Amino acid sequence: MPTAFDSVEVDFRHVTKRFALREGHTLREFASAIVSRKAWTNDFFALRDVSFTIARGEIVGIIGRNGSGKSTTLKLMAGVTAPSSGEVFVGGRVSPLIELGAGFHPDLTGRENVHLNGSILGMTSREIKEQYDSIVAFAEMEEFIDTPVKRYSSGMYIRLGFAVAVHSNPEVLLVDEVLSVGDSFFQEKSLAKMHEFREKGTTIVVVSHSAPLIENFCGRAIWLERGQIVDDGPAKEVLERYTHSQHEPHLI
Amino acid sequence: MARSEALRRTPLSSSLGPLGYLRHLADFWRRRDLLWHMTVRHLRGQYKQSVLGYAWAFVNPLSQMLIMSFVFSTILRVGTAGDAPYPLFLFVGLVPWLFFSSALASGTDSVTGAASLVTKVYFPREVLPTAAVLTKLVDLFFGFVILTMLMAYYGRLPEATVYWFPLLFGIHLIFVLGLTYPLAALNLYFHDVRFLVGVVLTLWFYMTPVIYPVTTVPDKYRWVFDLNPNAVLIDAYRRVILYGQEPDFKKVLVGAGIALVTFLIGYYLFKKMEAGFADSI
Repeated sequence: MPTAFDSVEVDFRHVTKRFALREGHTLREFASAIVSRKAWTNDFFALRDVSFTIARGEIVGIIGRNGSGKSTTLKLMAGVTAPSSGEVFVGGRVSPLIELGAGFHPDLTGRENVHLNGSILGMTSREIKEQYDSIVAFAEMEEFIDTPVKRYSSGMYIRLGFAVAVHSNPEVLLVDEVLSVGDSFFQEKSLAKMHEFREKGTTIVVVSHSAPLIENFCGRAIWLERGQIVDDGPAKEVLERYTHSQHEPHLI
Repeated sequence: MARSEALRRTPLSSSLGPLGYLRHLADFWRRRDLLWHMTVRHLRGQYKQSVLGYAWAFVNPLSQMLIMSFVFSTILRVGTAGDAPYPLFLFVGLVPWLFFSSALASGTDSVTGAASLVTKVYFPREVLPTAAVLTKLVDLFFGFVILTMLMAYYGRLPEATVYWFPLLFGIHLIFVLGLTYPLAALNLYFHDVRFLVGVVLTLWFYMTPVIYPVTTVPDKYRWVFDLNPNAVLIDAYRRVILYGQEPDFKKVLVGAGIALVTFLIGYYLFKKMEAGFADSI
């Protein structure tokens, strides 16, 4: 829990996220909706009036079923999408470990993609140059670094993406199920890296279906259901209640 | 860890005051490293896996120039209103036009084409259309290489007034960016936009003095051409490169004004719509 105001790293204030679900993407559909006076869009609330703060250095797990608003919460933190109402504040450089390698260009080599992806994550060219060897070593890609990434296996792809993201010196790390990818050796290595971040005092937000990961790694858990916070507290207790509720679905 | 920065609101927001506008531009400038990497990414991706590679950047303008010269000069006998041979006259206008149209078309698709990025990571989204436009500078450069060879073939040198070119082209670049921003944003909401751009570009080509000199336009229609920055600039390119004349400053000034206003409004619209990008892809 945050102790002083200046140590707050993430601050959600009455955040509501409404999605407009649309049928199609052409003017014809838009025009026909106007003519028939039907609503063009169907509103769907991913988050309703959610408020919480995360202190600097806190490790928070977000749990909830599919469609409960977990990913939307991460996207709002990453600044990829804007709240429909309310405000989201974030302290430092946010690095999303969400679908690693999203910025990779298949025709470019691993080396070129390290530079591209690093700069997408907000690293300067100088930072990338300084970190380059360490990134390649971490990903264990020395051999294939000059091969176009389209020839990579999905595991190699993710390893390189992960390596760039963890070297971008994030102050807030957003983790979305990525620790479940790669071989077990790399998984262990990434988990070790995450622990390293924890020691350094990096704020980490984890979204995962894996109860053990959240229980072992996070101090605090937030339980979301239908876009609202059901429970927020020490990870162990929240998980217990969450797991309990899963066996009695009619309670929610 | 001692950090001085306070909490910042996440950058996406649909409200945009004058201060916010400047902050966005400053933010964009801070990310010029990314703009560079994106441009290189586009470039490297563009001709990879094609046998001729960058030679394609020569093939397109060269073949168009040959066929158009044949049709308009040999068959239709269009004059050049000057002492330049028709292929030269045509090419000085055609190269910037091809830049304009290919930049606009690829810029319009740039944000839609980067869906996987836009939904995952934040960076100033204008990097995408700007990189798409800058990529086309390479084609423009190759175009001017051909132009130089063509001039050598006809035994001509660029006139001394060619030093006006960078300024004129700067105006052109601002104009095309200003048009690209809102189109790239709108294309996310309505996929019709890309088709519309194709149609408009074809019409615009005929309404721009690329294949004919602007002096042949009847006086009562001249104002349309004076308000078309493409027409004004292409006429000015011909003057400074081929005829050794100064550009028509009054017209260029109007064109520059239109380009600047287009840029300011276009950038504003783009930033206004940016907040909804990830939700609309």
